[in-house]
Amino acid sequence: MIEDAAGAVRARAVSKVDEAAVIRAVQSGDQDAFEQLVRAYDQSVLRLAMNLLRSPEDARDVYQEAFLRVYRNIHTFRFDCSFHTWLYRIVTNICLDHLRKRKVRREESAVVDTAEGPVDRMDSFEQEGPHSDPERRLWNRQLGSRIDAALRDLSPRERMVFELRHYQGMRLRAIGDVLGTSEEAAKNCLFRATQKMRVVLGDLV
Amino acid sequence: MTCDAVMKAIPLYYYGELAPEVEDGVEEHLDQCDGCRAELERQRAMAAAIDRREAALPAGMLAECRHELARAIYREEAPAVRRTASDPWGLFREAFLAMWRPGIRFRQPAGAVALIALGFFAARFVGSWPGGAHLASSFTPDAVVSSIRSVQPDNSGHVQIALDETHRRIVSGRFDDQNIQRLLLAATREQDNPGVRVESVELLKDHGGSAEVRRALVEAVTHDSNPGVRLKALEGLKSFASDPEVRKTLAQVLLKDQNAGVRIQVIDLLIANQDAATVRVLQTLVGKEDNNYVRMRCQNALRALNASVGTF
Repeated sequence: MIEDAAGAVRARAVSKVDEAAVIRAVQSGDQDAFEQLVRAYDQSVLRLAMNLLRSPEDARDVYQEAFLRVYRNIHTFRFDCSFHTWLYRIVTNICLDHLRKRKVRREESAVVDTAEGPVDRMDSFEQEGPHSDPERRLWNRQLGSRIDAALRDLSPRERMVFELRHYQGMRLRAIGDVLGTSEEAAKNCLFRATQKMRVVLGDLV
Repeated sequence: MTCDAVMKAIPLYYYGELAPEVEDGVEEHLDQCDGCRAELERQRAMAAAIDRREAALPAGMLAECRHELARAIYREEAPAVRRTASDPWGLFREAFLAMWRPGIRFRQPAGAVALIALGFFAARFVGSWPGGAHLASSFTPDAVVSSIRSVQPDNSGHVQIALDETHRRIVSGRFDDQNIQRLLLAATREQDNPGVRVESVELLKDHGGSAEVRRALVEAVTHDSNPGVRLKALEGLKSFASDPEVRKTLAQVLLKDQNAGVRIQVIDLLIANQDAATVRVLQTLVGKEDNNYVRMRCQNALRALNASVGTF
């Protein structure tokens, strides 16, 4: 197990060195290298978009738009930040645009109206354990709806900081770099987001 | 530190984002204060509940995104920088390695990929030229034009047309030939021809059990507009019916597919392996199903699983 972990660390260290070579190859027109670069990051980009927007259609749009922008603009990448930061600047900008448009439209595409009231499409196939009882399911559903409502009530920027810190595990300093702001501002954003979540979820957790 | 200051610091303490000296102060206080420790527990409980709301990627979504990206980049790329292959097998091999092996290749030989990826353009311009116009001598009569890049008239009554040209070829080989399998996988996405899709799905389901084939079948069941293709793909998924990802997809198909025959076949596949999620999805279907026969099949399936027919 320890050897596995050490191997993973070594692999990451090597891949950092390789990444610069891969990026230079992409900049000189090597499309196999571009594929390699996409595959190194695209799963986490798609997860981020899916989790933020809760809509497969929007997540696909973000994926395609983000990597097309990378494809068109990779020649402008000057290694003055990590490629991860550069890519995530692109991705978070596109996601923020989606979130802002959604705020304006007051539309939440993951929620559909049913005879039993609004239901989150994400709930439809949530795996229930073999021992789950109706009361427990109801409780989980209420908690889930409340969490989703709390996430929707965050401002787009608070939502983004919360997403990057809580789900993506990025440090606030890196989040500040991605969003073009200071670590302190990212910290304030995270604080406000968690306070808002606590208010909404107060009696359920 | 006071309780008030620690309470405010707890979210950032939880995320490990406090300066070391502040963190030490918080920990010292927590050792002595039950109220603040309870607050930290509430923060942990909230974070755990939020963790459980992480959205899962639907099966096959990443592969579809990669495919769509490859197509978008193909459309963007100037024809001049595309590679051309000389021998037919080399060209096909390159194209289909590019399109269908696990991964994506963005530089695609114009001819072969245009024939498959941009198949909807094909055949539109085959044969006689619209309006009886004369073709330039370099334009081969058996060519298929995949797209026209520019049209420039001049003063002498001539017009210069820049176009991408493909040629139809016959390729044959054994089912177990990897190139043939890749062509079949590509054919399951041939947009304009459901007949080709049905045939290719039929052949794949009988001659391949790989993850790639499974993905193609799941893709066909989920997204193919033709119910005949979806039914064929469902037959092929029988051998994967116990796979959790496949079952999740089947549950989604059961609730959204417009074709009653497809829904019945999905019920049969799902009940071959009993689990709580199947019962739940069948109960949901009973409540919303319009077709009497499908509803009856669904109710019978629930009874066979010793489950209640409705949800309460």
